[in-house]
Amino acid sequence: MSSAFLLRSTLPRTFKAASGRSALLAAVQARHASTSTTPYVPGGPIIQGTVNDPTTFPESDRSHGSYHWAFERLLSAGLVPLTAAAFVTSGSNYPILDGILGVSLIMHSHIGFDSILVDYVHKRKFPILGPVSTWGLRTVTVGVLVGVYSFNTNDIGLTELITKVWHA
Amino acid sequence: MQSLVARSVRTQSLRAVSARTFVSSAARWQAVPTEKPVLQKEFKIYRWNPDEPAKKPTLQSYTIDLNQTGPMILDALIKIKNDIDPTLTFRRSCREGICGSCAMNIDGQNTLACLCRIDRTPKDTKIYPLPHMYIVKDLVPDLTLFYKQYKSIQPYLQNDNPPAEGEFLQTQDDRKKLDGLYECILCACCSTSCPSYWWNQDEYLGPATLMQAYRWIADSRDSYGAQRKEKLQNELSLYRCHTIFNCSRTCPKGLNPAEAIAKIKLELAAE
Repeated sequence: MSSAFLLRSTLPRTFKAASGRSALLAAVQARHASTSTTPYVPGGPIIQGTVNDPTTFPESDRSHGSYHWAFERLLSAGLVPLTAAAFVTSGSNYPILDGILGVSLIMHSHIGFDSILVDYVHKRKFPILGPVSTWGLRTVTVGVLVGVYSFNTNDIGLTELITKVWHA
Repeated sequence: MQSLVARSVRTQSLRAVSARTFVSSAARWQAVPTEKPVLQKEFKIYRWNPDEPAKKPTLQSYTIDLNQTGPMILDALIKIKNDIDPTLTFRRSCREGICGSCAMNIDGQNTLACLCRIDRTPKDTKIYPLPHMYIVKDLVPDLTLFYKQYKSIQPYLQNDNPPAEGEFLQTQDDRKKLDGLYECILCACCSTSCPSYWWNQDEYLGPATLMQAYRWIADSRDSYGAQRKEKLQNELSLYRCHTIFNCSRTCPKGLNPAEAIAKIKLELAAE
């Protein structure tokens, strides 16, 4: 089922890829040049242009490239001392530290989940499901942020909760 | 008297030896080839024929005698093709691990058939084409996209200011940076072992191509490093690498594409 859907969603790209009918025809004919009499069925490899054209790169955008990567790595590295600090201190005495930990954890999870979505339900393959799941994830992240904020301000806060559950 | 006896004995023994030399019955002194025991081994090989596209791919079983075969998987494949089934299709060329043609998935590991020893235990050996590739026939994958991606990184020296005279010069330290990069034979074992490349190979370049991208970024004689790096600044071309390390684990040449990719990421982040 999923493979059929994937195949179907790659089909329009295959046709769009070849610029115009003649290029597509040429590509198909090139594949016919072998002795096989079986017609080549589209849905095979996504070949843009002829076999001798290099693939193209998308527009370069550092916020999706190195900035994103560096931010993600710094955040992951920063979570190590933050988690250690949460063990040593208590949330009610250091509410700012507790807040930073909460926000970093949520951002870290958001980036992780977003990476899964980019890998498996990217919008180029899933034109509807892709954006829906991306925006769904964003909604959930904002919801969790609001929830953690109110939990930290009105209740005992993340660190104390984990301490309590741990000792329960 | 004594010496006379000794001499006669010597001549007698000499005659005996020379007589034996001319004996015509071979069996007495020529070595008889020892019969090697039969060591049957089953190979299960992926078969798919484009002439019958409706027929599902199957595993076909072949049993051969390992003692009548060379030591490598490629020898077994050639033996099967010569003796049992001439329709079995696979790529091979150099049979010594420098052309990269015979890359395939042997017992779950992408490797070169010519560098992979046959497991001499009675357990059967399964041979598949490189995973997640479109198959032309049997063990032959379609590498068109792989080569197009390789071409996209412009794998050649680019420098607008060639030296006025003679060749480009390079220090020994600069040359050392290319060791472990230039040896790649583009067999596609690493790229096709990478889950990211399986799911996103239309956009993600894959470890083999990225390692070659780094080979030209790292080259001190190339002056287009900035442009080369700028092209990778997007979500998919480079950053779909999640440091899974399948590439370094599977490389039949013992190279380390994951390290090259990590170095590209570091250079991009440090810019």
